[in-house]
Amino acid sequence: MTAAAAQRSTKAAPARKNAERVPWIDWMVLPTVGVLAVVIGYPVIYTLVLSTTKYNMLDMVPPRYIGGGNYEHLISDPIFWTSLRNTVVYTFGSVIVSSLLGLALALLTESLTGWRFRSVRALLLTPWAVPFVVVAFLFRYMYLQNGGVINAVLLDVGLIDKPVLWLNNSALALPAIMAANIWAMMPFFFLLLSAALAAIPNEVIESARIDKAGTWSMVFHIKLPFLKSALFISSLLMIISNFNDFAKIWAMTQGGPGYSTTTLVIYVYWLAFENFDFGYASAIGVVWLVLLLVFALVYLRAIRMNP
Amino acid sequence: MAWRSAVVASTILSVGLAATASHAADKVTLTFANWADAEGATRPGIQAVIAAFEKENPDIQIKSEAISFSEIARQLVLRVRSGNPPDVAEIAGNDTMLLAQTGKLEPLDGHIDAATKAALKPSSIEGLSDKGKLIAFPWTQAPAGLWYDKAVMQKAGLDPENPPKTIDELMKDLAAIKKSQPDVIPLGLDTTNRAFSLISNWPWMKAFGADPFVENGATSDAMKSYLSWMRDLAKKGYIDPGRKIGEFRPLIAQDKVAFLWDQVLLQGVIQSTNKMTDDDFNKHYGVTTQPAGASGKSYSFEGGHQLVMFSDGKHKEAAWKFIRYLATSPYAIEHYTLSYEASLTPLEKAPTDALAKKLDTPVFNAFSEKIMPTVTAVPYGPKFAPGATAIMAGVQQAVTGDTPIDEIAASIQQNLGN
Amino acid sequence: MNTKATSVPTGVRRISAGRIVKYAAIALALFWSLAPVYWMLATSFKTELEATRIDPTPIPVEPTLANYIGLGGQSLPFFAFFFNSVISCLATAIIAVIIATPAAYSLSRARFRLRGPISYSVLLFRMLPLVVMLAPLYLLLLNARLLDSLAGLVVGFTTFGLPFAVWMMKSFIDAVPIEVEEAARIDGYPRWQILLRVVTPLILPGLLTTGTFVFMEAWNNLIYPITFMTTMDKQTLPAALVLTFTGQFKTDWGGMMAASTVTTVPLMIAFFAVQRSMVRGLTSGAVAGA
Repeated sequence: MTAAAAQRSTKAAPARKNAERVPWIDWMVLPTVGVLAVVIGYPVIYTLVLSTTKYNMLDMVPPRYIGGGNYEHLISDPIFWTSLRNTVVYTFGSVIVSSLLGLALALLTESLTGWRFRSVRALLLTPWAVPFVVVAFLFRYMYLQNGGVINAVLLDVGLIDKPVLWLNNSALALPAIMAANIWAMMPFFFLLLSAALAAIPNEVIESARIDKAGTWSMVFHIKLPFLKSALFISSLLMIISNFNDFAKIWAMTQGGPGYSTTTLVIYVYWLAFENFDFGYASAIGVVWLVLLLVFALVYLRAIRMNP
Repeated sequence: MAWRSAVVASTILSVGLAATASHAADKVTLTFANWADAEGATRPGIQAVIAAFEKENPDIQIKSEAISFSEIARQLVLRVRSGNPPDVAEIAGNDTMLLAQTGKLEPLDGHIDAATKAALKPSSIEGLSDKGKLIAFPWTQAPAGLWYDKAVMQKAGLDPENPPKTIDELMKDLAAIKKSQPDVIPLGLDTTNRAFSLISNWPWMKAFGADPFVENGATSDAMKSYLSWMRDLAKKGYIDPGRKIGEFRPLIAQDKVAFLWDQVLLQGVIQSTNKMTDDDFNKHYGVTTQPAGASGKSYSFEGGHQLVMFSDGKHKEAAWKFIRYLATSPYAIEHYTLSYEASLTPLEKAPTDALAKKLDTPVFNAFSEKIMPTVTAVPYGPKFAPGATAIMAGVQQAVTGDTPIDEIAASIQQNLGN
Repeated sequence: MNTKATSVPTGVRRISAGRIVKYAAIALALFWSLAPVYWMLATSFKTELEATRIDPTPIPVEPTLANYIGLGGQSLPFFAFFFNSVISCLATAIIAVIIATPAAYSLSRARFRLRGPISYSVLLFRMLPLVVMLAPLYLLLLNARLLDSLAGLVVGFTTFGLPFAVWMMKSFIDAVPIEVEEAARIDGYPRWQILLRVVTPLILPGLLTTGTFVFMEAWNNLIYPITFMTTMDKQTLPAALVLTFTGQFKTDWGGMMAASTVTTVPLMIAFFAVQRSMVRGLTSGAVAGA
C-alpha cells in the first residue's frame, strides 16, 4: 500500500482520461441517491414547509400558514443568538484544541516503534471507545461539587480553597463540557494524524535527513505540509459531529445553568420535543441549514476538492 | 365502611358477570404505560400488583410498557398523535395538563362509581379537571416536607426535636451547621432546570409571596427577594447548586445533608441506602412543615402520580377497572403505594385495619396531618413547561453567578414573554 | 522521570533534555487519557454509600460486585439494551457500506455530468444537523409504520451514516491506481470481475475503516433512539443509560459506572482488534489527500 501512497504523494491524480465509459458504472450511484432523497431530501423540504407555519403538535390542529412569522420571531429571540454563539464556541474551541493536542501527540509518538508504540497508541485511543453518553455521565460524576474527584484532588493539592461549581456556574459550564469533549475527541485526531505521518514516503524523510534538516524544520517544512489534508479532513468530520453533539450536553447539563450551555441542537430539540412547537423549531433549523451551507462552501473552497 | 361493602359487592358482581361472559374466553389485553416498571426501585412492586390484578380478573391481561419518568409525557403525546395510545398511563404534575391539551384523555366522570368517589379525599381530585371534566385519577399523593437529620442538628448544638419554624430560624440553624460541620450540605434544594424543579421550589417562592407567572410577576419585589435569598444561600455555602433532589438522598442517609426538602418516599430511600430499622430511622430523622416566610404560612406542593385513560382506547371498561384497582384496592395500597412508592393514598380512610396500622408511623402522620393541609396549587398548563425553563434558568443564574438580581428578574420576564 | 536506567550494550545512549521532555509529555497524555477510565472502573466496584462520599476514596475500600450483579436483569433488561445497540449499529454499518461503495466507485471512476453536483451534495447532506430532520423523520417513520422498531432506527442512523460512508469510500477508491484495473482489462477480464476480484481486495481495509466509523457514530447517537423508540425494552444502550439511571428516586452512580464499563469494554476490545487494519486503511487512502 505504501507504493500506492507514494504514487499519490506525487499528486498524480488517477488517470481517468483513457477509461472507457461503461453506462452501468455511472448508474451505480443511483441506490445512494435514491436512499438519500427519501431519508434526507424529503425531511429537508418538509422542514422548509413547516418553518412557514404555526404548528404545535399538542393542539390537534393542522399546521397554519403564517409566512415569515417564525423568522421575525427568531430575529428578536435572545435564546437563539445565545445558542448560536455557544454552538460556535463549543464546536471550534473543541476541534481546535483537540486537533492541536492530537497533532502534538502524533508527532511525539512517531519515533516509538514496535510493541511500545502499539501499546502506547492503544492506550491513548481508549477514550474514543467510551460512548458519548458515558463520557457525559463520567465527567458529570467527576465534576460534582461535593464528592467529585476533581474538586477533591484540587483541594488536596491546595490549588483551590473551596469546591468549584464546574457544571453549575454559567461561566465554567461550557468550558467544562468542552474539556470532556476534548478528552473524547483527541484520540480521533491522534489516530488519523498518526496514520498520515506513516503515509509520508520514506524517500522524502530520507532526503531531508541528508540535507541535515533539524527537528523543527523537519516538522514544519516537511511533515506539516503532508499532514495538511489529513488535518483538514479530520477537522471537517469533527466539526460536523460537534454541530450535532446532543448526547454530551444533554446528559451533562441539559443546556443549563440558565442558557449557558444551550447550543442550537439542544434549543431545537427542546422546542420541538418539549414544547412541541414544530413550526418555530423548523424555522431555526432552516436558518441553521443556510449557515452551514455557507460554511461548507467556504470550507470546500479551502480544501479545493477535485471538481 | 359502607363504601367498602360496595366495592366488595361490585367486585363480586363484576367477577360474576365476567364468569358468565367469559364463556368465549376472549381475553382483553390492556397496555399500561408507566415508569414504575422502568425503575429498579419500584419494578418488583408494580409487577406484583399487576399479577394480583390479573389473578382477580382472569379475563384481563396487562401489558406493562416501561417508559422513564423524564420521557413519558413526550412519548404519550407522540403516541396520541400517531393514533396508538396505551389504554392506561401513569402521569404526574404538569405532564397531566400537557397531555390533557391534546383533548384525547377520556373524561372519568362517567366511569367513576359513587362509592369510589365518596371514599376519596376531596382535595385529591382538585386540579385534575380539564374543561370541567375529571381527566385523571389520583393514584398516590406525595407532598414535600422539610426533612431534618437529628444527628447533624445535635452536633451543631441545635435542639433536634425543634426544627426551624420560620425562614429566619432556618437561616440561623444553617449557619450553625455550616460552622460546626463544613462538609455537610446544610440545605438540600433541587436547583436543576426541569419542570419538576420549579414545582419543588414553588412553595418557597410562595413563602416570599412571589408568583412569576402573573403579569410582571418575575420583576416583582417578592420574586426579587426570593432570588436574593437563594443567592444568599449559595454564597454562604448553604445549598449545593445544580443537584437533582435524587442526588441528595444518599447523602442525607450518610448524615451529609442537614435539611432536605423532599417527599414521603425519602424514608424508603434512606433505609435502603443505610439499612436502618424503622425505630432507628425515627430516632435519627424527622419531617415537618416548611419554615414560614413573612406571611406566617407554610406551603407545600403535591407531587403524587395520577392514572389516565385515552378516548381512543378500545377497552375503557377494563381500563377503568384497572385504574380503580391500582389506586384504591387494599392489595395495591399495601404492596405498592405504601411500600414501593412510599406515598399516601388518595382515600380518606385506610380501607382495612391492617393498613390503618401500617399508616400509623411518625412520617406518614406528619405528612397527612401537618403537611397535606399546606399544599398549594401549582399553575400547571401549556405555559408551565416553557415558563419553568425560563424561571429556573433565572434561579440558576442567581445561585451560580454574579449578575445583578434586577437584571436576572428582567431576563426571566423577557423569556416568559417569549 | 529523571534518568532512565539504560542497559544499552553498545556505546552510551545520550539522554538529552529533549527526550526527557518528550517522555514526560507522553506520560502526561497517558494519564490524561486513562485517569477518567480508571475512575469509571473504580466507582463501578464501590458500594452506593462509598460512591456518594463527599471525600472520594481513590481505591474502593470495600470492593463489591453488587453493581454488576444488579445489571444481570433482575430489574432492567440491560443485555437487551446492549443487544439492541449492537444489532442496530452493525446493521447500519453494513447497509451503509454496501449501498455506499458502488456509489463511491462510480463517483471516483465514472465521468457523467452530474458527478460533481452529486459529490458535493453528498458532502452537504453529511453536514445537515440531525435535530432539524428529527420532526419530519419522525412523521416519515410514523407513516411507514417503522416507529418503535429497530428497522426504523437503522433508517434514522443511515441518514448520517450513508453520506459519510460514500465520502470516505470515495477517498479510498481514489487511492487505488487506475493502472491496476487497466492491466486487468487488457488481460480480458470483464468489468464486474475486475470490481470483485481486483478492486474489492484492495479496498478491504477501507471498507473496515468506514464501517467502524459509521458504527461508532451510530453507537454514540442518543437523539434518534430517545425520539423514535417508545418501548423501554427496545431502547439502545446510550438512551437506556440516560432514561434509567436518572429515575425519580436517586442517581445511582455505582450502577451507572458499572453499566458504563460494560458498555465501553466490548467496544475497546473490538477497537483494538480492528485498529491495525484501520490504520493501514487510513494510511492508504482517507488521509493521504482528497
